[in-house]
Amino acid sequence: MKIWIYSIAVAAGALLSAEGAIYGLLGNSIGKLESSLYNFMTGTIILAIVILFLGKGSVSYAFKAPKWQLIGGLLGTSYLTILVFGIPIVGVGVAMTSVIVGQMTMSMVIEERGWLGSRRTQMNKEKLVAGLLMIISLILIY
Amino acid sequence: MIFFILFLSIFGGVLLSTQSSINGAFSRHAGTFESAFLTFFTGMLIMFIVVLFFGSGHLLEIVNVPKWQLSGVWFGVGYLFLTIAAVPKIGVTATNIATVIGQLLMSLFIDHFGWFNGTQVPMNLKRMIAVVLMLIALHPIYAGTNKTEQVAGIDTGMNRQ
Repeated sequence: MKIWIYSIAVAAGALLSAEGAIYGLLGNSIGKLESSLYNFMTGTIILAIVILFLGKGSVSYAFKAPKWQLIGGLLGTSYLTILVFGIPIVGVGVAMTSVIVGQMTMSMVIEERGWLGSRRTQMNKEKLVAGLLMIISLILIY
Repeated sequence: MIFFILFLSIFGGVLLSTQSSINGAFSRHAGTFESAFLTFFTGMLIMFIVVLFFGSGHLLEIVNVPKWQLSGVWFGVGYLFLTIAAVPKIGVTATNIATVIGQLLMSLFIDHFGWFNGTQVPMNLKRMIAVVLMLIALHPIYAGTNKTEQVAGIDTGMNRQ
């Protein structure tokens, strides 16, 4: 039975939504950009400790990697900052559903175009219908 | 205004998905924790500059807010650890589908119960139909990506943040 492993993955997603909600609130007390800074600063410290004890890879690969592989932090800060601004206005449900729609659409596009080192997969009718269903559900939630 | 926020949030999802592909590529050489560290570290550098020039809040208020409001960072890091635990056992596709379900349901629960001092938005029939449609949409989108992501390495799905 792998049901508990599926539950772990569901819990991971739940944590993402809770994170957005909490930062929406913290943004109102200490400032929105400041909340985002807090997250990345504290996260850096936590991960530095984790790497000291559990790290098996090499951080210094960052100096050799192709430069486009280094923009994850820029994308991550933009994502979190958008949420911190958006959640107090539209609520967690609408904000996270929009995020999910963006995520799923983009992963289809990345696959279809074979971007970022992914292997190309054809767009098909089922995927287009899925895209349509997502947009309908976003309208329903909104 | 609200449509602008909606559009921005969709764009946020686009960024998240792009980030997970990019970090997946980086982590194949550098390691998963190392990839997450790089994301947080460069994110910190960027936000430091941004706050210095555009910040209008009070960073030092951080010592006065209730401690639970600081827990967001553990949720983000917890997400990372849980996906690292799940991906090798059930695969990237199943993990992606399960996390999106968790994201969606939790966000609607938070709205329904008004958790974290948010505005309460009760669950209604429209929202329930929306959840069902999303669940139907999940499979064709992620099932097709199965092969690709296994080629790309197991880290693809767990480097958001």
